[in-house]
Amino acid sequence: MLDTLLPILIFAALGLAAIGAIRRARLWRQGRPSPVPVIKGLAAMPRRYLVDLHHVVGRDKVMSNTHVATAGGFVAAAVLMVLVHGLGLAAGVLGWVLLAASATMFVGSCFVARRRRQPPSRLSKGPWMRLPKSLMAFSLSVFAITLPAVGLLPEDFGSWILALALCAVLVWGLGEMVFGMAWGGPMKHAFAGALHLAFHRRAERFSTQGGEGRPSTGLKALNLDDESAPLGVEKPSDFTWNQLLGFDACVQCGRCEAMCPAFAAGQPLNPKKLIQDMVVGMAGGSDAAYAGSPYPGKPVGEHQGTPHGPIVAREGKALVDAETLWSCTTCRACVEECPMMIEHVDAIVDMRRFLTLEHGNTPNKGAEVLDNLIATDNPGGFDPGARMHWAADLELPLMADRGEAEVLLWLGDGAYDMRNQRTLRSLVKVLRAADVDFAVLGNEERDSGDVARRLGDEATFQSLAKRNIATLSKYRFQRIVTCDPHSFHVLGNEYGEMGGQYEVRHHSTYIAELFEAGRLHVKPWKGGGVTYHDPCYLGRYNGEYEAPRNVLKALGIEVAEMERSGFRSRCCGGGGGAPITDIPGERRIPDMRMNDVGETGAELVAVGCPQCTAMLEGVVDATAEVRDIAELVAGALTEAPEASAGADRQSSNRPQAVEVA
Amino acid sequence: MRPEQSTIQPLEITVLVSVGRHPTTGRARRADQDARAVELARGVADARVQLMHAGGKEADCESALRGYLGMGFDALTLVEQPEGADTLPALAEALRGAPPQLVITGERAEQGEGSGLLPYLLAERLGWPVVSGLAAVESVENGVATLLQALPRGQRRRLKVRLPAIVTVDGAAPAPRQSAFGPARRGHLAAVPGGVTVDEAWANWETQPARKRPKRLKIVKAASARDRFKAAAAKAEGGGGQVLTDVAPEQGAEAILKLLKEEGVLR
Repeated sequence: MLDTLLPILIFAALGLAAIGAIRRARLWRQGRPSPVPVIKGLAAMPRRYLVDLHHVVGRDKVMSNTHVATAGGFVAAAVLMVLVHGLGLAAGVLGWVLLAASATMFVGSCFVARRRRQPPSRLSKGPWMRLPKSLMAFSLSVFAITLPAVGLLPEDFGSWILALALCAVLVWGLGEMVFGMAWGGPMKHAFAGALHLAFHRRAERFSTQGGEGRPSTGLKALNLDDESAPLGVEKPSDFTWNQLLGFDACVQCGRCEAMCPAFAAGQPLNPKKLIQDMVVGMAGGSDAAYAGSPYPGKPVGEHQGTPHGPIVAREGKALVDAETLWSCTTCRACVEECPMMIEHVDAIVDMRRFLTLEHGNTPNKGAEVLDNLIATDNPGGFDPGARMHWAADLELPLMADRGEAEVLLWLGDGAYDMRNQRTLRSLVKVLRAADVDFAVLGNEERDSGDVARRLGDEATFQSLAKRNIATLSKYRFQRIVTCDPHSFHVLGNEYGEMGGQYEVRHHSTYIAELFEAGRLHVKPWKGGGVTYHDPCYLGRYNGEYEAPRNVLKALGIEVAEMERSGFRSRCCGGGGGAPITDIPGERRIPDMRMNDVGETGAELVAVGCPQCTAMLEGVVDATAEVRDIAELVAGALTEAPEASAGADRQSSNRPQAVEVA
Repeated sequence: MRPEQSTIQPLEITVLVSVGRHPTTGRARRADQDARAVELARGVADARVQLMHAGGKEADCESALRGYLGMGFDALTLVEQPEGADTLPALAEALRGAPPQLVITGERAEQGEGSGLLPYLLAERLGWPVVSGLAAVESVENGVATLLQALPRGQRRRLKVRLPAIVTVDGAAPAPRQSAFGPARRGHLAAVPGGVTVDEAWANWETQPARKRPKRLKIVKAASARDRFKAAAAKAEGGGGQVLTDVAPEQGAEAILKLLKEEGVLR
């Protein structure tokens, strides 16, 4: 009886799944076009899954092995099941392999079930709670129906009641694993996730046989020349189709939620919920069925949307509230942590673009900062002619006078900030001690456009970027060095699309190179314990974790690492215009970060970003001092041991009046 | 739009907007006070707001004017005027052609003559009442507007004025909304030709950057924090002022002339 029933069941499930898959694909196709290499993408998919995805999943060893057993077992069992039971190719070794595959899957599903016993709060409940049982139902029933096929049990073992019961369990398993995959059940993540890997919008972030993938973190430019092109994302269907596909790939593991600084601070943002809301919008409906942690302070079930309806309402509620989008610090912790390679920050900035460019609704100080950027080229509204006042006594060489230099020192808007001026002075001192041939743009420099872009004002960003690129094209230099990771990121990763290709170094990278070349001499560190805070725009955006630590090592400092450091570093709260839009929460993000610092017992936290300095120094009753790496190096500088170095310096034609600490 | 629109006649408001000048960089922008005037107009219920500018169509002027369109307008009426023309007759003509019930302007332009006289001269020409320094338009009923005028130190005065009228806004009026790029780019600058009256006096004028005016020092002889606070909060009193009521115009003019001479404004 099973012989006739099984092929019917299997092919019925596959047929229904195919219909569901087409319907799902039509949901994605509501999005805007985005050309991708289809064949190449599909061919690259297995590698992206096995290497890049498991690189992320592998950070949790137990879960990684669980997933390998369950998913690997399932894929093998499903294929073999079609061959063995669907097409009746039971002969020989296939049946035995199928037994092994389903057994492996069962072991994996036991571990899934174990984690679901007391699930951490970041995991979604609801339909996800039945998934381990469904996995077991599928693996056990496939195992059981294969036993007679390989001859371990007689063909007519048991009664027809047993066979019917087995079929019922198999129907449950097939329903979840095959039918549910295409019709929006928890297993949807496998179907959408695989295609998302194949058609990802940032293919360059994946490794190839040639080597590692490179960080692909620059935002994509809006085409402002085409007046009919939408300015950002108003409706779910304004996303590109592969962005929609990406949202659908979400497995609701909540790793993003666990890492999100805004969520931890009680601000109304949860990256997981945001992605789920996009899925709700794409399919149409209410968020009432969502079974994970809500946006802090916002109950589930009050929002709804449609594919062609607004995401953020001008008044009242739609799919998402504006303050949710403005809570994001663009720190990319969620993107870094996401095993499905979803690009949360791109989506958030896309939606912010619409709010700023079409609604004109940037909250709090946003409008003022953008107006300042338009009128004065800096966010503070300061006189552009006063940009170099901090360096009145330093006689900095100007590019306008020199025309060329080895290093162009990009000062950033920190030039107007008295705290950051100390960092800049230190950096100048270090560069002079190492005899670096550098020059600055002086008053010709403008804001890089970072804040404007993160606040969604692509028009102001592009205007600033174009003018900066025009200025930079007048001069010859080998590289740009800056102490601002935000400028570093924008100049290095985002100006390329606007026509400016530069080699950009963060000052910590450059100082590390100077140390390596033996051009800096320092006295040994005598202070207390030191920890290091990775700026998001240096670390996660640009993959630079080593150079700042190397500099600290060269100073003789042993870094006491925080629990969240490196790629998991917690944001200071200063990115993405978050201090400007200033969405209230229950805690402040920098306070939490200074607690992290306090837990290491360090007396000093080394930073490499003006934003981080400002945010962390704003913490009341902090247990540690905040110093930029440049300040630490400048404070430790000493004369070169041999006389020859001194003679060398005499010959250089820079001003002889050097600041002495 | 609802069907009852036909029964309720919307209030026609025209906001006169100018090309502003950023105080630090001198770049063309939407003028702060004119933007407040637009915001004030937007806050009036059941109103149909139109923007009007008399001036040129140069690139930087256009970007500044588009700043007003970015506050949510489809079009702006541009009464074309060459450089150095007196815009007053052209504006009066345009307003007389399709008279609105309420005209709102800023107190004074941020560049050019910037005398702040335009609303008064315009009111004189049109024969309309003028009310300066508004903080709010509270209501409009049966052709009479209830206005809230801002006075120094947070005082307010409620006025009723028969429409049509010209009003100017005060810094106490609501801050202008953000100008959005999308509507600013899409909006239409509807150019209409205007009669040109060359301002001959203006052509002979020489302009130079304004010097900072000397400020009367407030000498605070305070012993305690309370005194210092009182001194800081007190209004700056010139002392020796006088209130003239029911005097002949000549007497009034003489008093003003005398004061100007004392203050060194006239020599």
